[in-house]
Order: sequence, then structure tokens, then C-alpha cells
Amino acid sequence: MGWVSRQFTTRVIVLIPVAIAINIVIGYLTQTVLKLPIYLDSIGTILVGVLAGPLAGAFTGAASNLIWQYAPVIGGGTIGPFAITAAVIGFLAGIWGYLGIYRPRPASGTQLLLAAIIAGAVIVLVVIPIFNNPAYTDPNIGGYPSWVYTAAAVIAVIVAVIVAAFIYIRRDLAGLFVALAGIATGVVAAIVSAPIAAIAFNGVTGSGTDLIVAALRQGGSDVLNASLGQGLFSDPIDKTITSFVVYIVLLGLSRRFLARFPLGNRLFGDHDGAAEAWGSSTPA
Amino acid sequence: MAPPKLGDRALLPDRAPAPQSLPDFVGRPAQGRYRGLNPTTKLVIAFSTALIAFGVRGWTGALVALAVVVASATYGRIGRAMLPYALATIPLVISILLVNTFLYPGASDPIAHVGPLSPSWSGLTAAVQGTLRVVAFAMSVALFALTTTTNDLVSDLERRGLGRRPSFVLSAAIGTVPRMIDRAKEITEAQRARGLDTEGRVWRRIRGLVPLAGPLVIGALTEVEEKTMALEARGFTAPGRRTVLRAMPDSPTQRALRWLLTVGTLLVLAASISGALGWLP
Repeated sequence: MGWVSRQFTTRVIVLIPVAIAINIVIGYLTQTVLKLPIYLDSIGTILVGVLAGPLAGAFTGAASNLIWQYAPVIGGGTIGPFAITAAVIGFLAGIWGYLGIYRPRPASGTQLLLAAIIAGAVIVLVVIPIFNNPAYTDPNIGGYPSWVYTAAAVIAVIVAVIVAAFIYIRRDLAGLFVALAGIATGVVAAIVSAPIAAIAFNGVTGSGTDLIVAALRQGGSDVLNASLGQGLFSDPIDKTITSFVVYIVLLGLSRRFLARFPLGNRLFGDHDGAAEAWGSSTPA
Repeated sequence: MAPPKLGDRALLPDRAPAPQSLPDFVGRPAQGRYRGLNPTTKLVIAFSTALIAFGVRGWTGALVALAVVVASATYGRIGRAMLPYALATIPLVISILLVNTFLYPGASDPIAHVGPLSPSWSGLTAAVQGTLRVVAFAMSVALFALTTTTNDLVSDLERRGLGRRPSFVLSAAIGTVPRMIDRAKEITEAQRARGLDTEGRVWRRIRGLVPLAGPLVIGALTEVEEKTMALEARGFTAPGRRTVLRAMPDSPTQRALRWLLTVGTLLVLAASISGALGWLP
């Protein structure tokens, strides 16, 4: 019981509603107002997971989606059934929190350059298999707006460049760890989401990502595989961006504030460089 | 639609003060047909219709769920208020109809050949079934959201033994969302006053997201400390149960209905997953 109750201190209980509201408001802004082809609806979930632990993260994720779906006025959409995915995302974030993935790791020289290159390369590698799919390469199957894939590729490249630049300019190896954790979370999220999308909504969700589903269906994939193909494209990129947003938010919060959360101590290294990185933020 | 009655606040979410100028929590529970049901009963109805719509494949599940929801809405006289929820499903429905009708791998019964596309009957069947499912789900959500207030639901769940932590999370989260939207508007206006371009092309809007989301998230998080102190100072972690002030109406019939629905839905789902319902259309 200790392991469970330690994740739900009063401070965490106060953080969770704020995190749920962050998920809903930023997700709504991204998907509905700005109509971007990513979700950005798990910033709060990952934040709680990293600060409090797997169960708190899973609870936040599931509660976010159910409240978003069922609450009066703000409700609607197709988000409810994906509560399972959100719970898995929060649980994984809790594990990353335990492992200290989000701890700043100052570095310099070759090590830093290497990390920047690896992070950029990994992100591009995740995207390449999608483009080898006949749905995209075979002109006989094609016939859909090609800007969709160009746009997607551009997003992937931009993310890769930003991540690499982040690592190099901030002189912080944590960028690599955060990117890898984001990609891993995204792949798992895609695998969990695909059957939900296929069973509940015949594979589409009424958003911009449906074009990818349509292309994969045209290429001969069945409902489940088309959903999985779309998810494996959108989710790793989305979760990488989300993880970086969370990391930047954590950098913007004072050490005193963070240390009071159950996993707060795992956000700090023992060496001086880390103290300097966190100390540069505004005092509470 | 019936005119709003005293205590009928589900029609006027958060905008109008309680008619008797009493604090909100003293207000009477919702009254009226369907709306006057116990909030937990309405929650059970919402969850079971959603699970039946998604869990039982083919025509049966979606049609049964839709019939139950439409009948309840008619009984509660909220049919017109549910229209916007139905309209909100249109983009999703269009997507489902187009993708399934025209792109159904393995279909061998084309309706016609239109250039490179060949819509199929089996695709159309899947599309219409998917549409019914989505509409049934959206209507079941609307039925719940339009007839139940958060306060009613949380106090009833707490009376049934939901801990104070989940209760707090539920009501605080729903209360925080509109406040955060207001805050987002304030930040947008403040940034605009400093010369930020929040309209125009996509790339500009994306760049506008950062100076908006940053202060929003950090600002919300800094409030956590104060709220924690406030809760601790008011005995949030004290042992024992809270006394719930608002008693929601309930009846043995509703209790029986809740159990029946819960057990029935689980049995039907189990039968559906094990394939025992294959004979249904």
C-alpha cells in the first residue's frame, strides 16, 4: 500500500486536476482551434507520471479522457474510448520518472555532438519505414493530396532538427533520453490505440490524420493495420514533442517546487552542473 | 422543451445563480423527467449504452443503444438540446462513410466503377454500421451531459463511498477547465498587446502557441502550492468520512435498474467477445 499511497499525496491530488485541465485545454487548442495534425493532449499526463509515479500518471490519463468526453459543455468528440491509451501513456511516464529520464545531464564535446546526431537520426529512422509503404511510393495506388506526406515529413524533419539543436545548444544529454522515451511511449500508444480506433470508429477519428488512414486502406491494409500505420506515424512524433514540452516546463519550475513531489528528487543529479541547470530557473 | 423549473440548473450550466440566491451547494437536486433520476443511474445508463454500442458488433448493438437513448431523450424532453451533439458527429461520420465505402480491402461486390475508385456494398454496410455506432455513442454522451450536473454526480458518488481524493479530482478538474480557458484568453490578449500575431498563417499560429502555452502551464502549476496548503489547513487528510450535505433522490426501482444494467451489460459483452452472439444481425 505504501507504494500506492506515496504516489497520491495531497500535493499530487491538487496537481492532477490542473494536469487534466492542461491536457484538455492544450489538446483542444491544438486539435480543434489550430487544427494541427498532432494531438498534444498528454502534457499533463506525462507531467504527473514523471513527478508522482506510474499509477498517478495512469489515473490522470484515464480521468482526462473520460472527463473530456462526458463533462457538460466541454464534452464531445471521440476521445473517451482512448482513455485506455492515455492510462498506458501515464503509466510509462511514471516509469520514465523512476528511471530519472528527465534529469538534466550536462555534457560537452564529442559526447554532446554524438547525442545530438543520434537523437536526430533516431527520429528520422522512425519516419522512414512509413514512407517505404507502397501506399506512399506506388504512383498506381496513389491519387491523394501529396502535401499530406510532405507536411508530415516536414514535421518529422523539423522535430529532428529542433531536438538535435536543443541537445547541442543547451549542452544537455537529457534531450536524447527524453526523445527516446517519447518515441517509445509513442510506439506503445500507437499499438494500444489501433484496436480501439478500429473497433470504436472503423479506424477514423474525423481529424486530419484520417487522410493517412485512407491512404493505407487504399494500399490494401485492413482497418486495424491502417489504424496502426497511422498511429505509428503520428504518435511517436506527438509524444516526442509532448515529452520535450514537459521537460521544458520542468526546467521552468523551481527546484523547491519540484522536490516536494514524490519523484521530485529523481529530477536532480548529484553533480554541480545539474544544480546549476535547475538553479537558473526563477525562484518560487 | 419544458420551461426551466426551480432547481432545474442543468439547463443553465454555471451561468445563472441559484434562483433563491442561496449558495450553490444548498440548491435542490435536479427535477423533471429523466433529469430527476439519480445521477449514478444516469451514469450507469450512459456507460452501458456506450459499451453495448461498441461491444456488440453488427447492427444490433448500435441500434439497441440508439433506441434506448432516443427513447430516454424523448421521455426527458431534451430531444432538441441533443441536436448540436448529433451535428458535431458529422465530420467523423463523413470520414467513416467515405473511407469505408470507397476503400474496403478485400471487397468483391462493387456498386459501380468510378475511375480508380470502386465503392463496394460490404464497405457501405460497414460504413453505415460504424455511423450508427458513433451516433449512438455521441447521443448517449449527450443524454448524460445534458441532464447531469457535476456537483450532483460528485456528491452522489461520494455518498456511495467514492473517496474524497477522487471526488476532489473530479470536481476540481471540471471547474479548472473553464478557468484555464479564460486565462488562455487573457494571456492571448496580453501577448497580442505586445505585438504577437495570433491570427494568419499556420506557421505563425504555431509560433503563437509557445508564448501562450508556456505562461498558461507554468501559471497553473504555481497555484498548486497554495491550493495544497489550503487543503491541508482544512483537514483534507483527516481520517473519517465527510458528511454529504446534498442527498440525491433515489428509489429501489433505480437501484434494481442499475444492477440489472451493470450485470446485463457485462454478460452481453462477455457473450459478444466469446462469439456467442454471432447469430444476431
